[in-house]
Amino acid sequence: MKVSGIKYLANQGIENIWKNKMMAFATFCVLLISLLLVGCSALFYINMNSMILGLGNQNEIAVYLYSNTPQERVAEINAQLVELENVDTVVYNSKDEAYQRMQNQISQGKEIFDYIDDHEFMPDGFSVTVINNDQIENTTEIINQIAEVEVAKSSPQVAQFLRELRRVVTIIAGAVIIALAVVSMIMISNTTKASVFARREEIQIMKYVGATNAFIRTPFFVEGFVTGFFAGAGAFLITWAVYRSVYNILLDQGTLMNAFGVASVIPFDDISLIVGAAYLLIGGFVGALGSVVSTRKHLNV
Amino acid sequence: MVELQNVSVTYSSGVDALNNVSLKINDGDFAFVVGSSGAGKSTMIKLLLKEIDATSGVVTVNGYNLNKLRKRKIPEFRRTLGFVFQDFRLIPSMTVYENIAFVLRVLDAPIKLIRKRVPYVISLVGLQSKTNSYPDELSGGEKQRVAIARALVNDPQLIIADEPTGNIDPELSYEIVELLKGINDQGTTILMVTHEHDLVRHFGGRIINITDGEIVYDEVVMGINDEILPEVELAQSMENAASVPYQTALGTEPNGSELPLIDDVIAAITGASQNDGGGAE
Ligand SMILES: Nc1ncnc2c1ncn2[C@@H]1O[C@H](COP(=O)(O)OP(=O)(O)OP(=O)(O)O)[C@@H](O)[C@H]1O
Ligand SMILES: [Mg+2]
Repeated sequence: MKVSGIKYLANQGIENIWKNKMMAFATFCVLLISLLLVGCSALFYINMNSMILGLGNQNEIAVYLYSNTPQERVAEINAQLVELENVDTVVYNSKDEAYQRMQNQISQGKEIFDYIDDHEFMPDGFSVTVINNDQIENTTEIINQIAEVEVAKSSPQVAQFLRELRRVVTIIAGAVIIALAVVSMIMISNTTKASVFARREEIQIMKYVGATNAFIRTPFFVEGFVTGFFAGAGAFLITWAVYRSVYNILLDQGTLMNAFGVASVIPFDDISLIVGAAYLLIGGFVGALGSVVSTRKHLNV
Repeated sequence: MVELQNVSVTYSSGVDALNNVSLKINDGDFAFVVGSSGAGKSTMIKLLLKEIDATSGVVTVNGYNLNKLRKRKIPEFRRTLGFVFQDFRLIPSMTVYENIAFVLRVLDAPIKLIRKRVPYVISLVGLQSKTNSYPDELSGGEKQRVAIARALVNDPQLIIADEPTGNIDPELSYEIVELLKGINDQGTTILMVTHEHDLVRHFGGRIINITDGEIVYDEVVMGINDEILPEVELAQSMENAASVPYQTALGTEPNGSELPLIDDVIAAITGASQNDGGGAE
């Protein structure tokens, strides 16, 4: 095939969008809506996941030393904790601080500190956060082996609950995304079928004058790809605008929302590239595929 | 060349559309296929275009054995023939120029050749002024002339026409057949299905009558020009004329002046080598 021939077919594809603007617009809208549905669900899931992980990171191991532990030993233990594999941060709480803090926390009703039950005086201690919340029980166990540690406590229920929550959210989100994708495929396929059906005569005539299937399909491919690409671009812009405003609203809620892990909501800039690329490519290829597959039935003449 | 050997077609509905038909059309022939509605004429055309397959028998067109032709080879085969249908079959979203050029694009012809050849065939059918019109903007006769231009743009060995005059008024029918005759004079084989007995009577030539899926008549007859005979007399006149040789029938064609288009065509074709069409585009 000559270069001029390929150029002709590509041009035909672009021209066809204009010549069949109503159908192209319908395909564009369906693709746009489908991409938005699936894309936003995916983004919602990613953020839920990130928030749950963020909540997990707030899950701390409270470490209390025997009250007779000498100060130099306290510093050593601090260093030892930092070295542990799964440990993220270690914060030292002196007796006084611990007491202050306890009072504050209780006034806010945090049950996580309930274990400070009938202690008369506050011991030295550490607040340890972990990298992987799923491993928090193991890490707690390891810390408990240290001789000077009277008790290291984490809330395995919280860890377990968050693990379970993530699993459920993943299953539900997966099911929703798959369902939306399937519904989208059906919508897209019906739209491209209708669009191609309107031009079945044209396809048949082309077959009669000896055009090969590939020759007839190439403009349909180009047409579908370009339409899908623009739908992807549209979906990206809408997602960007919506995401940013939602993100800003959440950010304004500040401290209250922090408790729900909103701090872990992913800023759009961090994912804009991959979201954009996914929208454009998926839009383009789904558009092209729908358009090309829909021609099949009419090529058999 | 077209050859049917003991060909039968039975549709899946059980209708026997063709019954053991044998037929040979040689290169350079002009043949009319006539017959009542439902006789099997279109079925025969569909066979020749490999739109359907014979239930039994052998179909050979332009050297391709259609029984054995693989699906992938169908486009290649179809490029060796041109077709003209009653319903024109022009691509509505393309201009006259693009409709005709499409055939050459399919062949991956060089742009330079397309730019020369397309205006030339447009001038053959006298539609220079409609080059950039869309099919919807043309009359039936004009559409059919575009279809004819498209059929001959790649210089096919054979043009198959299924009622090319079916959708246009009788006067224009003569022009269309004149046009096809002119093309035939250049050596292209033409097979034309028609309902219009007046046309057949006027032009004469080889006449194949299909009735109930069988060939009941296949003779070369002399044209009787403008005389309009009642239906009953047609068969009679056909039989009377049956012995007149093909050449004589063509030779006695006296009405060229009344039907000016044929002269244009011949002039255009013979003058083609020097002035390759020029005109629009
Ligand atoms: N696709 C089909 N399926 C089943 N039967 C068909 C099909 N096409 C045609 N037939 C039948 O085959 C027979 C021959 O039809 P065909 O179209 O060849 O007739 P025709 O001679 O072209 O008639 P007309 O002059 O009306 O166009 C008819 O009885 C018709 O009903
Ligand atoms: Mg018919």
